[in-house]
Amino acid sequence: MKLTRDRARSIGWAVILMVCLAMTMALTMRVNAVKSQVALAERKIVALRQEQQMLETEFETRANQQQLKALNDVEFGYQAPTPTQYLEGERQLAVLAKARSPGAPSPIRVATAAVEPTPTLVAMVSPLTGKALAAETPRREHRPSAVGAARLADRLSTLDRAKASQE
Amino acid sequence: MSSLTVSTVITTGRVELVNVRHRLLLVAKVRLLWVLCLFALIAVTAVLRIAFLGVFEPSRGARSLSDALLPSRGEIVDRNGVPLARAFPAYALWYNPKVLGENGPPLVKSPAEVAAALVRIFPDENPARLTKLLAAGKPAYLRRRIMPEDANKIHGLGEPALEFPRENERFYPQGSMAASVLGFVTADGHGRVGMEQVYDKRLTDPATRGTPAMLSIDTRVQGALEDELSRGMAESNAKGAAGIILDVDTGEVLALASLPSFNPNLIDQAGAGNVFNRVTNQVYELGSTFKPITVAAAIDAGTVTNLGRRYQANQPIAIGGFHIRDSHTIGASLNVPEALIHSSNIVTAQVADELGGARLNATMKALGFNRRPYIELPAKGFPLWPKGEWSRITTMTVSYGHGIAVTPLHLASAYATLVNGGIWRPATLEKIDPARVPAGTRVFKASTSARMRQLLRLIVDIGTGKKANAAGYRVGGKTGSAEKPGAGGYQRSSLVATFAAAFPMDRPRYVVIAMLDEPQGTVATSGQRTAAWNAAPVVGRVVPRIGPLLGVMPDASRDVDITDLAPLVASGEGE
Repeated sequence: MKLTRDRARSIGWAVILMVCLAMTMALTMRVNAVKSQVALAERKIVALRQEQQMLETEFETRANQQQLKALNDVEFGYQAPTPTQYLEGERQLAVLAKARSPGAPSPIRVATAAVEPTPTLVAMVSPLTGKALAAETPRREHRPSAVGAARLADRLSTLDRAKASQE
Repeated sequence: MSSLTVSTVITTGRVELVNVRHRLLLVAKVRLLWVLCLFALIAVTAVLRIAFLGVFEPSRGARSLSDALLPSRGEIVDRNGVPLARAFPAYALWYNPKVLGENGPPLVKSPAEVAAALVRIFPDENPARLTKLLAAGKPAYLRRRIMPEDANKIHGLGEPALEFPRENERFYPQGSMAASVLGFVTADGHGRVGMEQVYDKRLTDPATRGTPAMLSIDTRVQGALEDELSRGMAESNAKGAAGIILDVDTGEVLALASLPSFNPNLIDQAGAGNVFNRVTNQVYELGSTFKPITVAAAIDAGTVTNLGRRYQANQPIAIGGFHIRDSHTIGASLNVPEALIHSSNIVTAQVADELGGARLNATMKALGFNRRPYIELPAKGFPLWPKGEWSRITTMTVSYGHGIAVTPLHLASAYATLVNGGIWRPATLEKIDPARVPAGTRVFKASTSARMRQLLRLIVDIGTGKKANAAGYRVGGKTGSAEKPGAGGYQRSSLVATFAAAFPMDRPRYVVIAMLDEPQGTVATSGQRTAAWNAAPVVGRVVPRIGPLLGVMPDASRDVDITDLAPLVASGEGE
């Protein structure tokens, strides 16, 4: 049997068709497998949601207001807080403070250290020269920190210097 | 070839044998072919089935997730999303005698033994009834609702005839709380009485039942109100009680209680009698709580311009063969603040007489006292409203809350109007978006409202409402103790004690109404029956419980300024 060109072509088409069909079939199966997985997952979600709702309802029922009240009446006897138990803002808190009495422990002091703020803006680059326009960024002059000084006299002197430089 | 030559030389019998062998082989081959064909058929069938399953199966009976999770009836939640009513797949205990076959006994053990075992699980059951049901051999509910752990215990009994099917039922996790607001669902699946009836269409429509219906009720506030009302009811031995907490700026009802209540989970003979809502359905003559409304109308109309002006207070007013008296003589003369503090009928009647019937009538109409109350609930009482033009005597009696009967809800809306700057808004049980608060209608001037805040605060500070003075919450309000009308006039023995309050008076946020029906004098109320001794303490205990929950913090350093009124009030029992 002689394989003519037309015959080869039609066999080729048939093969391609078969391959395509097989691949479509495989893909369809794959898609449907995923679909059924999704359906299973959904069914599981529904079951879990229902169980969650069931548990939630049971919890709500067991912890309903009347049950809690009965429990409080028998076990705890908690009452609504009185106005003196509420504080609103620092002002009311400060009202509670008393003047220091003699012999009281000295108040706790918290050490602080000056932190140099790093410039958050990136220096702009000139489009003409390609160099950073460093001159524009404000340069903080270094001030000696008063906190780091060893003695009181040093601290005072640094403060003076800072004041002088401001003037 | 050699074998053939050999066979020919041996015997012809051998040739036969070979033929037999050939035939047997052929048969064996044919059988093998059959088996192979069978296997091939099975394999092809299996592959085809797999292909069929793979191609068509998932599309069959596909339900979306939202469909499966859609409740059979929509939820009702409070303003913070706490469920108040939900569809719940509850277990029921069902007796199915056919499980073990048509013939033979339906139970493994005897009915009496099974009944005894069931009573051990449900101690409230009647063993005789259960034995009768089990012995009858007919399918029946043994119990309509059982807990999951009880279902497990019943499973442990090993009786296949005891089944526990899951049935969708309406369940109220908070029990009897807010029952008069919610109502209940009957066996036909439709809501009755409360918001269940109002929302019935919405809760059953598949398009809308997925989203819960949100009420304006706050469960915590409702719980506190019911709690304190039932305590007040028990202490004063009252027949019933009603209470309402209303947001003065929006008209939202945060709590609405009518006691004795019923359990919507189980409507029985005892509960059915309590379904009646005292807050919206029953009208009462609310007595002296009307006096601030009269005074506000008079200030608003300009007939009371001087709060220091004195009215006679020791002579009963005789009009049309009727005498307007006070419970006791307070003094020869009183001014308006003193009249409110001591709750004088005589002075209020004089103020109303000067105001005139037409103007008092107009104010009361503007407050909605001539219509059913504005609320979604289906059960709304119609007020007893004096018709036509008011005569002098009608005007005078209405001024102190007699001859007119309204629901406690009417009073709550009126007090909200008194203190919120003078705007009347309809009460609602639906949560309102703060941006869409109804505009309302103006009834009083803002200046009148400001004056009323001072006067109401004064009553609680030094007047009849002292027991409602929750420290730090700046409560203002008015007591009212009205005799109930009965056959042959007012009955001195049965009172309706009401306390209408609002807090905090420097910037009113909520109105609280507490009402006790026929309170008695008991040791707990110092032998008194009036509102100052039973209804006012209820408000005094409710406010500290709900204030912080609603964002009103107690503050002893703040209050409404009443220094301009203080000099007008004589210390002691009048002059």
